[in-house]
Amino acid sequence: MPKKIMIWAVCVSAFPLVSLRAEPEDWGRLIHRKDSLYNTIFVYQRGPIVTLRFGRRGGVPIQSQVHLDELHRHMLDYTKMTFCGLLYQPRPQRMLVLGLGGGVIPRQMRDFFPEAQIDVVEIDEAIVPIAKRYFAFADDETLKVHIEDGRVFIKKQLRLEKPPQYDFIVLDAFNGDYIPFHLMTREFLREVRGVLAEGGVVVANVFYTNRLFDAELATFLDVFGPCHVYMSRDSGNAMLVSQAEDEPMPEVEALIERARDLQETHRFSFNLITVAKCIRPTLRPEKNANVLTDDRAPVNYLRQQERNVD
Amino acid sequence: MKYDSSIETDGRRRLRRAGVIFVACVCGWFVMQLEILGVRMLAPHFGSAVYVVTGSVIGTFLLSLSVGYMLGGWRSAQRQSRRNLGLNIAAAGLWMGLLPWMTEPVCDRVFDLGLDEKWGSLLAALILFAVPTVLLGTVSPTVVRWLTTCSADSGWNAGMVLAASTVASFAGCVVTAFYLILYSMRLTLWVSGGALMLLGAGLALLPSVWRKQDA
Repeated sequence: MPKKIMIWAVCVSAFPLVSLRAEPEDWGRLIHRKDSLYNTIFVYQRGPIVTLRFGRRGGVPIQSQVHLDELHRHMLDYTKMTFCGLLYQPRPQRMLVLGLGGGVIPRQMRDFFPEAQIDVVEIDEAIVPIAKRYFAFADDETLKVHIEDGRVFIKKQLRLEKPPQYDFIVLDAFNGDYIPFHLMTREFLREVRGVLAEGGVVVANVFYTNRLFDAELATFLDVFGPCHVYMSRDSGNAMLVSQAEDEPMPEVEALIERARDLQETHRFSFNLITVAKCIRPTLRPEKNANVLTDDRAPVNYLRQQERNVD
Repeated sequence: MKYDSSIETDGRRRLRRAGVIFVACVCGWFVMQLEILGVRMLAPHFGSAVYVVTGSVIGTFLLSLSVGYMLGGWRSAQRQSRRNLGLNIAAAGLWMGLLPWMTEPVCDRVFDLGLDEKWGSLLAALILFAVPTVLLGTVSPTVVRWLTTCSADSGWNAGMVLAASTVASFAGCVVTAFYLILYSMRLTLWVSGGALMLLGAGLALLPSVWRKQDA
């Protein structure tokens, strides 16, 4: 018992050291702060723009951002990039999103596909009320948030008598500092494939600025066969996109044509054609990139290695 | 187990002391190495929730070490403690080498029991890691017993052994988390298990340099 008290005392006394430092100005005022089991969650607001971050060290990417007056606007590059999955599966009925954050991706998908059944899996319980209160996220009968480790969730689904078959899966469980290696390995992606419906698509949000990218791409190629990469020009984000079948991926022209159709139908707040044009169909991982496995996944090491961005 | 220091030369005594502390250090190293790899071994099955890491894995190791300390202390007074300890270490090494084959079936079965990630991961951690950790936990008290010739020395010897093996644990932590993690976990476990088996067999089988004490 006294040991426990001591640990608490140390944690509490370290707290002012952190909070006395000046607030980063770009995001405005700190309006909420929460120490959860997994993160120190910071919510900033500047006018109508609300920003979500985990930790406040420089270099940690923003998790989520919304413009409260224009909820359809994608403030961050990667949320609109995930829409590239629609080029392969234009009418998703059953979606799975690993990682909630501010809930921008499921909320937007919900707006365009009101009929779709969406499951969101988030490990950190404390994020959910924050997403609801500050980021205009709402769950209901057809948009459910499950508090669980993403891999455990999928494993449980696979053990059901009739595992759900998702036709649109977004892997977005990687926050800035902590990398859950077990959500990147060959074994994990095989489990993902187990809950992927025929004609379904998997979209993974990754960073292409370090060598972990090559390993992730190599792992996707290993598990899914073909994989398309979409590289953002404005941020370090890239999307890895693969389909359920081992079929060849659609041609680039066909994808851009489809982007045109979808843009016409849905009138997205961003231009899906621009996103489609970020495709890098010939991109291959560096020669010595290893497939990540449960046995060997040096994710932190690879992330520290800079990658030559071509 | 009676040990008469007067028939041993000083140099030989120092060598013996160093050797004995080395054994404690090797075991301290491998306990922590296994603990860190244990977190990685469970993550694919039970996730990396805080419960798995801090509760199940660390808890299992602490509990197993206590049991090991107790057993080791109790058995250290018995005859042939050197052979027994050697066998303990070798058995821990064997278990460690077998872990790569045990992890999946054990975790799958435990997962099927329908326990949540807290109790499920705790049960799996106990099944997988308790045995080698208990066995390695018997080393320190036994080694303290070997080094102690009179009660006045006992505190110093215990302190020395604990300090040395804990420093080795620290090194095992850092080296595993910083460097060995870059390599195949299976390979690390096989090499480590092999090393422990060699050490244990050596300790149990080598013609005694300290026969006088064992006789």
